Amino acid sequence: MHGRTMLTKLLREPLAHFLLLGALLLFASNLVNRRTSGDTKKIVVTQGEIEHLEDTFTRAHQRPPNEEELTGLVRDFVREEVYYREALALGLDRGDAPIRQRLRQKMEFISEDVAAQTEPSEDQLRSYLNSHPDKFRLDQHFTFSQIYLDPARHGRRLNADAQQMLAKLNNAAAKADLSTMGDPFLLEPSSQDVSARDVARDFGEKFTAALGELPVGKWQGPVESGLGMHLVYVSKRTDGRIPQLIEVLDAVRREWANEYRLEANEKFYQGLLNRYTVTVELPQPSPERKAQIGVDQP
Amino acid sequence: MRIEHSCLNRIGISLAFWSCLALSGIFSTPASAQEADTLDKETAAKVFPKKPYSPYADHNYPTHVYWGDTHVHTSYSMDAGAFGARLGPRDAYIFAKGNEITTSTGQRAKLSRPLDFIAVTDHSDGFGFFPELFGGNSKILSFPQGRRWYDLMHSGQGATAAIEIITSFSQGKMAEGLLPLPGTTEYRSAWDETIKAADEANEPGRFTAFIGYEWTSNTGGNNLHRNIIFRENGEKASMVEPYTTQKPLGSDNPRDLWKWMADYEQKTGGQVLTIAHNGNLSNGRMFPIIESFTGKPIDREYAQTRAQRERIYEVTQIKGDGEAHPFLSPNDEFAGYETWDKGNLDLSELKKPEMLEFEYARAALRNGLKLEKELGVNPYKFGMIGSTDTHTALATADEDNFWGKTSSSEPSPTRATHPFVKTDKAVIMGWEQAASGYAGVWATGNTREALFDAMQRKEVYATTGPRMIVRFFGGWEFDARDAQTRNPAEPGYTKGVPMGGDLRDAPAGKSPTFLVAALKDPIGANLDRVQIIKGWLDTQGETHEKIYDLAVSGNRKIGSDGRCKTPVGDTVDVPNATYTNTIGASELITVWKDPEFDASQRAFYYVRVLEIPTPRWTAYDAKYFGITMPKEVSMKGQERAYTSPIWYTPEK
Repeated sequence: MHGRTMLTKLLREPLAHFLLLGALLLFASNLVNRRTSGDTKKIVVTQGEIEHLEDTFTRAHQRPPNEEELTGLVRDFVREEVYYREALALGLDRGDAPIRQRLRQKMEFISEDVAAQTEPSEDQLRSYLNSHPDKFRLDQHFTFSQIYLDPARHGRRLNADAQQMLAKLNNAAAKADLSTMGDPFLLEPSSQDVSARDVARDFGEKFTAALGELPVGKWQGPVESGLGMHLVYVSKRTDGRIPQLIEVLDAVRREWANEYRLEANEKFYQGLLNRYTVTVELPQPSPERKAQIGVDQP
Repeated sequence: MRIEHSCLNRIGISLAFWSCLALSGIFSTPASAQEADTLDKETAAKVFPKKPYSPYADHNYPTHVYWGDTHVHTSYSMDAGAFGARLGPRDAYIFAKGNEITTSTGQRAKLSRPLDFIAVTDHSDGFGFFPELFGGNSKILSFPQGRRWYDLMHSGQGATAAIEIITSFSQGKMAEGLLPLPGTTEYRSAWDETIKAADEANEPGRFTAFIGYEWTSNTGGNNLHRNIIFRENGEKASMVEPYTTQKPLGSDNPRDLWKWMADYEQKTGGQVLTIAHNGNLSNGRMFPIIESFTGKPIDREYAQTRAQRERIYEVTQIKGDGEAHPFLSPNDEFAGYETWDKGNLDLSELKKPEMLEFEYARAALRNGLKLEKELGVNPYKFGMIGSTDTHTALATADEDNFWGKTSSSEPSPTRATHPFVKTDKAVIMGWEQAASGYAGVWATGNTREALFDAMQRKEVYATTGPRMIVRFFGGWEFDARDAQTRNPAEPGYTKGVPMGGDLRDAPAGKSPTFLVAALKDPIGANLDRVQIIKGWLDTQGETHEKIYDLAVSGNRKIGSDGRCKTPVGDTVDVPNATYTNTIGASELITVWKDPEFDASQRAFYYVRVLEIPTPRWTAYDAKYFGITMPKEVSMKGQERAYTSPIWYTPEK
């Protein structure tokens, strides 16, 4: 059991991935070498390669290639392989900007992919959450009802009308019938446990801010929104807070992975760069050029 | 692994060498993995059961309108990339979610409010062409055209390259084999990245990221583009590659696209929908009666397939508004909003008046009635949405926060006065771009499935940017009291059908009644008026249209002809790019009964909501950059919403 844990742990190490990858590729390159050794150079189009050719064709055409098409694909593959090898032998890849860029891109892909294999531990995630609380802070939530007062309908009477309604609403004995009070309105009369973000989306920031201040359990108002005036009853308000890890696990993992990826890529590059001594031979600078370099490299 | 199978051998030796050297610790983990007390997913699910997004989950009708953009291009589109877009699909999603981002021109941008969904829809043809071209893919550079564009872009002449790319593509002058075709690794890796970005960004309940692409049929510069949206995740979408327009792999004929859609659905068990691009640049080909591909009248099969496959239509976007044209609707004083009618997409052919009938939505809805009578099926029975068609990865449609059609038209002192498209035939100036197009979707939740299904039932509407809420119900029994209830959706769904629905078989002596309500954008302008546009087919087989004002703000009167001739007024202060909500209404609600209904005649009804005048993006530009716009530049406008129609069909 313990051995298995060790193995799992080992398999999570990016280094292990990299070594494994290396071993596989050495194996693959040996195959290539074996195939290309000898007096006559050999090109073997393996079953796997043919399947790959068929596969790409099928995805594009939504049907497999017929015999003739497949022959064509294989013939083209061989042609490309011949040219490719001969071009390498002639050193045509050297000093060719597009090829250099493509290879650089491939290195970056590899670096990214290896980084992507790394699964964070729970402790890593927890400490990431603790060090970046604002990225994950949960919104304030509200459960509330509102009655809409259309300024166009009430005009200057709006405040008086509002006070009259409030009195009725807050008088338990009067048993106000909510469904007949206020003006028709396209947003729902009651909202359950909605986030401040969603309230702001419907009513605007100003109204949302007001909702955060109102006492709970009493009709209040009128409160202004981007749409008009409202009488508001907040029945529940949950304050915003830093969540527990379990609540935001996916989000923390996503953010952690992104940061890890960037760091790992940079480390990978720095590691490679460390193997080199870089000498930049600047041309004899003219006075202006010198000034410019000075600015570029403070 | 991202490196392609076939490349493994080629780079194998050197990689293996490096990986041995890696022992020295190039890749070290920040901390060692911990095995103890790892979270158990099942336990987590029990402790925190997922609540439905909608707080009104006990209602079975949609209580929320979700805002989005079904038409967003990124650097993965060849023209966008050439115009200078450096942001990819991931950036498009980050921005749409309301985060601040650095644009391709190095400026900081953020939406006023997050969107609820978007679809990244890069061009099917040349998918992934741009990143490869910019990166100097050797295959692309082996073509003289490719080399030329590469050199242009790397010498700061990206816009020239972009125009050349678009023109050579639409005129069929792109060298064969230059564009990555489905099946090639360049194409595949771009499609895979697109899918991955959408799946990563998709957060059911909070933000929906649709997988999609744009089928770029553009033969002769006549724009027949269509966006394809997938209902499912990458598992299904990655079983296919986008359908292209170049023979032999693809086709520029929508009939073939519909077939591809059917094939996809059969093969994967998934669903796709398609939304035609605003037809205003198709030069009479978007809503044909005579098919441009065959020269023959469209047949029942065409009508049936189109009605099934193209259930909603993009009526407004940055390249103009396509609801109505003044030539076709001379009595509509609000037609002609952000009209682009100089020619086709690349201005290689000028517009002729007789083309307009086959490219504007209202005319198409009318012709649909006629065709339905002839063919038994209405091919043009579409709902309406707006979208941006941005090529910057930034889905912006707000006048005070407009980031342009392309990266070269991101905010700058010259973007308005710089030509947008220019040929020897005509020129479209930068200022003519419209800060337009969002889709409002009445869905039961913010998920791919719920939004997709709402689009398929056409419970959607278009706006030119503002997020006003619009309800529209049709039935036989609505009366004035329904407009007085506190929650109009209740009687709406109980007694009628919502936008996109059908009324059939009028009860004897009854006329259709409509419950219509509009609420202003909470951070936007007040409303001027709410209208119904009716179209119908008379007994002689001729179609007609009529506009009715249903409700107007203030004390203005609606005459017996159904129209209010008094304008709402104008508070726009152009030099300061401001307006005030001292005119107009926050909300307009009413019930309307068709006063001229004939139960034997086919008809459609849709709602148009108009805002009070507000400054156009050009006014915000002039203010910000301290420049004077030439006097032909329009500086204000009345933004609006168009709902999907409700159709009436007699029994026989």
